[in-house]
Amino acid sequence: MLRYFRGPIVGTVCFALTLTASGCGKKDKASVETASGAAVSTPVSVTDVKLGRALGADKRLTDETDKFRPADVIYAVVETQGTAPNTLLQAHWTYQDGQLVDESSRNISAAGEDVTEFHVSKPSGWPKGKYTVQILLNGAPVESKDFEVK
Amino acid sequence: MGVLDKLFGNDSDKDKKATADFSDVRSGSSSTAAFNRTYTVVAGDSLSKIAKREYGDASKWHRIFEANRDKIQNPDLIQPGQVLNLPQG
Repeated sequence: MLRYFRGPIVGTVCFALTLTASGCGKKDKASVETASGAAVSTPVSVTDVKLGRALGADKRLTDETDKFRPADVIYAVVETQGTAPNTLLQAHWTYQDGQLVDESSRNISAAGEDVTEFHVSKPSGWPKGKYTVQILLNGAPVESKDFEVK
Repeated sequence: MGVLDKLFGNDSDKDKKATADFSDVRSGSSSTAAFNRTYTVVAGDSLSKIAKREYGDASKWHRIFEANRDKIQNPDLIQPGQVLNLPQG
């Protein structure tokens, strides 16, 4: 008969533990390690998106701007925080009328603070006008940036 | 459409249909994050299904194929239990 009560009891205990854990206040987004030193997944979030036309060796922009020339390579630098072995970042580039310019994705093994760059170029020159790049994290839009080619 | 429109074209229609040509756009990405992943094939998988799930784009199946040429002879034939390397998306 205990078998019939096991489910609700376990559920109640889990619920109580969940309440206790979520009530502990501020969540630490940094990497968490167990006593054995193994990394534990923590939620990955996009902390910043910047645009520019040149990149340093550390993947960070050396020439940040939202105004580009037709011959420029356009970089979108995405900063993330959190730890997860399977994180999908995507960049959707669109022209002013909503026309798709490019879609690219990168599956990363996020570990703490990471920087991921997406870049696009067009050998024949970018049409002048307004553009948007939308960043998606695991399929969900998280941030977008507008820029202009003059 | 009137005779004049046929002869000289209808500018308003042209404007509506005009789209920029982005066919020669090149793109890429890189990251400070590590990328060292494998995937174990399960029944019902295909390279395009795996590419769709892992990269969000089924057309990137050939990247997985190229990264596993030593294991895959025919891209239409992968076996459950095969461990594939997943290249950068």
